[in-house]
Amino acid sequence: MQLLQWFLMGIMFTLGSIGVAYLSTKVKMPWYGWSTVIIGSILVLFGIGWSGASFLEGVAQSGAMALMLMSMPGVLMVVLAYRYFATQIVSKS
Amino acid sequence: MTTKNISQNETANEQLEADLDNPERRTLLKRAAIGGGAVLAAGMGSYAAGKSSVQGVPDLSWPVVTDDFKSFPQRNTVLSYAISPQQMMRHPERNEQFGRLNKNNPNYNFQVQVPGYEFKPWDNSRPGFTQLDHALQHSSWFPPFSTELRLAGLGTPNSRFYSWDQSDVELEQYQFGSEKEASDAIRAAAKLYGAVRCGIARRDKRFDYDPIYDAGITTEMMNSLESQGVHKLRDYKQVAGAMQEAMKEFKVQDRELTWEHDFPFVPKSVIVLAVPMDYDNLATAPSRTSGATVGDGYTKMATLASSIAKFIKNLGFQAVACGNDLGSSVAYGIAAGLGEGGRNNQLLVPGYGPRVRICKVYTDFEFVEYDQAHTWGMTEFCKSCKKCGEACPSQAIDMSDDTHFYYDGEHSDQPGYAWGNHEGIKKFHTDAKKCFDYWLESDNDCGACAAACTFNEPDYWHHWFIMAINPYTPKFIHSLMAELHPAFGYGSTEDPAKVKKFWKTGEGMRVNETNRHAFGAVGKA
Repeated sequence: MQLLQWFLMGIMFTLGSIGVAYLSTKVKMPWYGWSTVIIGSILVLFGIGWSGASFLEGVAQSGAMALMLMSMPGVLMVVLAYRYFATQIVSKS
Repeated sequence: MTTKNISQNETANEQLEADLDNPERRTLLKRAAIGGGAVLAAGMGSYAAGKSSVQGVPDLSWPVVTDDFKSFPQRNTVLSYAISPQQMMRHPERNEQFGRLNKNNPNYNFQVQVPGYEFKPWDNSRPGFTQLDHALQHSSWFPPFSTELRLAGLGTPNSRFYSWDQSDVELEQYQFGSEKEASDAIRAAAKLYGAVRCGIARRDKRFDYDPIYDAGITTEMMNSLESQGVHKLRDYKQVAGAMQEAMKEFKVQDRELTWEHDFPFVPKSVIVLAVPMDYDNLATAPSRTSGATVGDGYTKMATLASSIAKFIKNLGFQAVACGNDLGSSVAYGIAAGLGEGGRNNQLLVPGYGPRVRICKVYTDFEFVEYDQAHTWGMTEFCKSCKKCGEACPSQAIDMSDDTHFYYDGEHSDQPGYAWGNHEGIKKFHTDAKKCFDYWLESDNDCGACAAACTFNEPDYWHHWFIMAINPYTPKFIHSLMAELHPAFGYGSTEDPAKVKKFWKTGEGMRVNETNRHAFGAVGKA
């Protein structure tokens, strides 16, 4: 089951990378904005990975704590960075 | 190829060229590849660094000892004292002092409680102490009770599995191509026979018990006491009377043995082996349920160590297997690079914490690649984390902020109180008398300190991650990690939910599709 988890995490990572890359073509942000988004995304992924392993080992409390202490701050970081630093790139066409 | 197909291909090619010409898509692909690749490379780098970190760093400073540090006489271990009626008569002041200071009972006596240990009746209203749990605990001790291992577990040397007999050593000595080849062969055999860790240390006299002590108790005597029902008596005067009769009948005579005159050879190497205890079972500690993985561990120690000793003898070299006897398993475990000394005085093994049992093989075979002590920052972590001490029902664990050379816990100011402590080495010093007293009182092997330990973790990546970053984290983070451990749901003791969980771990055993959730792992199959 843990191998399946790694596989799913790989898919999520790939989709996340494409997502951030897509975002970079649509919005402009200063370097600290992008850093916050990337670190936030990694935190989200880390929390999901931790949570998955915790559920596999049967300690649901650990999984819940990981989502709360890692993934949730990650989501907040991404959202706040987007909210405060992102400006739309206006298409020239 | 038809005209229609050609037309379709041309359309697809045109679309691809249009996509590639599209600067926005090119940027997207480029950034996804470069960004994702960079993060992936950083992740793989971190993984490699983590793999390296969990190997530990050689600890050349270990052991830190005083100038007068020397071997510990085995007769002074608490277990040796507690099973010896003759030591009871020789040192009544030890019982009296412990009882007076800790139990408000100057007539306290370790020895008379031992025959009835783990024989109190079950209580079906108390999770972990029901007939089901009682049945499990006693079934785990059935092999040790049948094969002299019960006495070996209490430190009696030269028993059936841990025999000193060398008459079966092959005359021809096998020649290994290199020291590494020899060590690898020993490790391979150890793995085959159930070891989860194996290290080879040079024999160090300071860590051997010297002199070795045999309390003179025999399996026949213990069986005789049981057949008379002495183990069910709760009147200690009656127990003492029965013990005196048995001592006369079986002519019990304790003796001390020396390495120079009694041990069959001069050991050069000590092979240190660790067998795992079951995570979910130990998590129920302290209970009769968790006593099962302890009893089972004693059987596994004996089969493993005796098999390795026989393997060495078959190669033409002398070897003696041992469990708790002959020397300090924790010190040799550290010397063999298996782990570090914890606050609870147990060996903390990366990936297991204290959830292992240690056995050893003394041998004169020395053409091996020796291991050396390593550190993973675990003892350092223990300085900030006191979870084992907080979980200890008898307050036996050293709660000092740092390691030190002498026992300085409760009653350390009383003359002779630390008779059971091996002093002169920098470590934490527990009060083993309080610990064993709790065993006798609670009628189980406790194990609360091991269950509560922050390093007692199942085999999942996030626990290895913590292990890997531990050496690089500062002290205040250690304190935070220690506090988060219970907050994340780990390390609770005296928890009926853990007992319930353990009894569900058999689900899925018919197929068990991962082969992972076997003994020593965790969770349902």
